[in-house]
Amino acid sequence: MNIRNQLICAWSAVGFASICLAGFLFANFIPPISPNLSAEEVAAIYSENVLSMRFGILLIMSSAGFICSFAAALAVQMKRIEGDLAPFTYAQLGAGCISTLVFVFAGVFWTGAAFRPDHDPELTRMLNDLGWITLLMTFAPFIIQNIALGLCILSDKQANPVFARWVGYYNLWVAVLFVPGGLLTFFKTGPFAWDGLFVWWVPFAVFFTWYLVMFYILLGAIKRQAQSEPTVAA
Amino acid sequence: MGRLDSGDGIVVAVWTWIGFREKFHYATAAILIITFVKIRFVFLDFMELRTAPWPLRMAFEVWAIAACVTLLGLYSLGV
Amino acid sequence: MSSTYEVTDSAKPHLPGESGVWMFIIGDVLIFSLLFSVFVYDRSQEVALFIEQQQLLNQTFGLVNTLLLLTSSWLVALAVHGARTGHLSQARGCFVLAILGGIGFVVIKYFEWSEKLTADLTIETNNFFMYYYLMTGIHLMHMFIGIGVLVFLWQCVRDAEFNTQGMGVLESGACFWPLVDIVWIALFALLYLMR
Repeated sequence: MNIRNQLICAWSAVGFASICLAGFLFANFIPPISPNLSAEEVAAIYSENVLSMRFGILLIMSSAGFICSFAAALAVQMKRIEGDLAPFTYAQLGAGCISTLVFVFAGVFWTGAAFRPDHDPELTRMLNDLGWITLLMTFAPFIIQNIALGLCILSDKQANPVFARWVGYYNLWVAVLFVPGGLLTFFKTGPFAWDGLFVWWVPFAVFFTWYLVMFYILLGAIKRQAQSEPTVAA
Repeated sequence: MGRLDSGDGIVVAVWTWIGFREKFHYATAAILIITFVKIRFVFLDFMELRTAPWPLRMAFEVWAIAACVTLLGLYSLGV
Repeated sequence: MSSTYEVTDSAKPHLPGESGVWMFIIGDVLIFSLLFSVFVYDRSQEVALFIEQQQLLNQTFGLVNTLLLLTSSWLVALAVHGARTGHLSQARGCFVLAILGGIGFVVIKYFEWSEKLTADLTIETNNFFMYYYLMTGIHLMHMFIGIGVLVFLWQCVRDAEFNTQGMGVLESGACFWPLVDIVWIALFALLYLMR
């Protein structure tokens, strides 16, 4: 039943959230660099803050791997609901791993911008654009992770469900909130630009809260499993 | 259901009458209020909140008032 | 999930469906409230533009859609009532009609958007149309989900073994549709009517 390994993977959520947030703060990405800035302005931001940005972006990229391990921890508990034939479990796991790549590639593009700040400013801005687009427009893998998790939880028919039902609804609601990210392609200002209310602030708040909420919920589920099957020690 | 149709009827009537006098601001305020009254009927009757535990019903009533007031306030910024 | 489905004592409060679905509904209501607030605020900064562009909207389509959704919501409530009192054929029929109403809404929305797009009014034309397409688009997404839920509920009451156990599921699902209706009523007032 492997309680210890599950716990290790579950705690990776804390690793992800803390390192990633620290990275955003070091890189001064909260709030994001506005999509409305001129190339010279963007290049100026990168060249004036190059050291803290490189470090912050490095932290963001480093934290990304933990998304996978946390998805794996969730998958183990989801499998207790689905059993041998576990499509939602695999969908969640797959989508979670792809989400890792989203953060990695966003970091790669931003690093490209910060690597040689004496570029042509148009190049710097284009790489900066790619970084933000990668991070915020890719709602698709993220929502599959949440939808699979939500539907799996709601399909739990056991007498003692692995997760409380409200967690299932919570995940479905979270999925809905990520979708507006796709709209950033149309706008450079306003609430649907990548620094806007519905593309940055709401998904950002919801995403990190989700990690903390699911971490707490997952610990509870693992603990309940350990208590119900005490014959096999960790 | 009849209450909701009459809500639409009231909206049209208010609209025609006040609108013709070009006092659109009052018309809009009235429309917003009527809109939230209609919304209230939907959540009381169609979502069955009339017979639900009162904390949930209260939450929606409070939201309806707060949302209506907020939107009226924001609307008045541009008037 | 016990005997509360035969609500004989009307003074006793009864939570329709399960509590989790209410969390989803409340969350959705809050997000839409945020969107509407942002819309009205942005509008207050550009009132002339919004009023002028609003004239280009087709109020008839808007009104028909409002009536369609209101009727559809009422039918869903009737269906739930039918299921609760054992009149499953009433429930089945009402769900079918409600679904048709939802489909009708989508069809009208298709015509409405086509009309706008052929007049070269897109999501990028100006702020008013940005909000128009966004708000009606996000609402339309909810419509598709809602229609899916109604189809699922219809299948539930077609099942000959439907009993009071299924009422919880039915009520939970049936709470979503009026939410879609509420959002549209507000949206209609904000986009089509407010001057």
